[in-house]
Amino acid sequence: MDPRPTRPEDGEGNRTKLWLGGLTVVFLGLAGIFLAGARSPGPVRADIPLVDPKFLDTTPWRQTYTDLVKAKEDLSDYDCYACHEKSKPPPIRFDDKGKIVIPKEHSNIVMGHGSHDRNDLCYNCHNEQNLETLQVRDGRQVKFDHIPLLCGSCHGPTLRDWDAGAHGRTSGFWDRNLGEAQRLSCANCHDPHTPRISKLAPAPGPHFLHENPAPAAPGH
Amino acid sequence: MSAQPTPPDRTSDAAMTRRSFLRGTAAFGGLTALAASLAPLRELGDFTSTEEFLQKYYKEMTPADMAKALARIEREVKAQYGIRPHVRDLRPMDGVEFVYCLNLTRCIGCRKCVHACVAENNQSRNPEIQYIRVLKMPHGSMDVEKGDHNYDDKQVPDKGFFYMPVQCQQCANPPCVKVCPVNATWQEKDGITVIDYDWCIGCRYCEAACPYFARRFNFTKPEIPKDHLNPEMAYLGNRPRKQGVMEKCHFCIQRTRAGKYPACLEVCPVGARKFGNILDPESEVSYILREKRVFIQLKEEMGTSPRFFYYFDK
Repeated sequence: MDPRPTRPEDGEGNRTKLWLGGLTVVFLGLAGIFLAGARSPGPVRADIPLVDPKFLDTTPWRQTYTDLVKAKEDLSDYDCYACHEKSKPPPIRFDDKGKIVIPKEHSNIVMGHGSHDRNDLCYNCHNEQNLETLQVRDGRQVKFDHIPLLCGSCHGPTLRDWDAGAHGRTSGFWDRNLGEAQRLSCANCHDPHTPRISKLAPAPGPHFLHENPAPAAPGH
Repeated sequence: MSAQPTPPDRTSDAAMTRRSFLRGTAAFGGLTALAASLAPLRELGDFTSTEEFLQKYYKEMTPADMAKALARIEREVKAQYGIRPHVRDLRPMDGVEFVYCLNLTRCIGCRKCVHACVAENNQSRNPEIQYIRVLKMPHGSMDVEKGDHNYDDKQVPDKGFFYMPVQCQQCANPPCVKVCPVNATWQEKDGITVIDYDWCIGCRYCEAACPYFARRFNFTKPEIPKDHLNPEMAYLGNRPRKQGVMEKCHFCIQRTRAGKYPACLEVCPVGARKFGNILDPESEVSYILREKRVFIQLKEEMGTSPRFFYYFDK
């Protein structure tokens, strides 16, 4: 005996054809959707702006006397005796609160060396006998291009670190056999009159591909 | 069992039509669905040449193989970016082990290192891939769980916080290397853990193993504007990566193995970053580890023994 079922009656045959026709449409429809999905471009990425080139800049913040000499730039700021008179030290004036008065000729100077105005006397560093040099407390005279010696007379540990390469910026070659390293001097970063480095705007943080995660509940 | 005594007529047109119709529809639908599901493979084709597919493992390449590989990379970069790069295979130097020191007293959290790194190392700009994360941490704690790398302050440094940049720590005992199933990442003798981007299969085990979240995965094809590509490249360093491979900080191999300082160090405006050869007693890093208060290593309890040291002044 043949175990297979017999062909159904005509009515059932029509129903089967209907089913098959329906399934064909469904299959073709699905195939169409698959194809359309495969062809269409992926989800559009959010636009991330390129970082401002100023954040990639490696040039030092300030130019020292040495840099100005090297670049053959205007040195008139260092030509003290164009205005001052030799052998006549300019007087230092204070207001009634005991704060130093910066003369208007030097209005670009903001005094802020050390907290509580403890180090605002010009002649702590400048040499009153010869304004074109600086002087250390022990009387040694220092030229403008040897300032680490002057700064280090108070900031000893910092000078020691700087000498070892542990303080301050460096660039160039770590391997001194292959090339030179460029070291920066104190005044390349610090304004001697206001040495504290001021706050600055940070570069942009990481951008998210998706929505930001919900901020953690306080206390976590 | 059928009650009908006569066997069904299997030669009739009606039976064949229905059966072949069913088969045909199923086969057509199936093939279409298969073709549609394979369609994304077409996108993989544009950066994988036969030559790259047949390329040997980095450590097994002869100098001639390497020359061929470098020429292929130069050709492919030229085709994609229109710039002929200078690709080198720089090997570790003798008597050199690199160490990085970062001064937490000095860092102001300006994130310049993050972007100098991206520019130097040809990371994808969209989606963003960055090797360095700067954590903003409250004073008095070393708990990285309290750190926030999405800070959005107008001015830095913020009062009451310090900043801790985190990048690949170049561990002496790297967990990422242990988990790689294909040895596509390994530690070189100068201490840098490198990745052969042509050998990586993109399984991301290393990303999961790294306790510092230092490894990045290229989920999509990296996007770098043509005029932002750094043409000075190294095979194990900053040559352009492709979709589906891992990447991470490699101490700027293309610079440091040529004797130069890394890009993140040179851009640091406060000189918080120090780098050098720990085997040279005269180097800056030797001095720092000798003389400074060194907060030994990040997550030292993990036993990873990083070559990246955080320290303080005074």
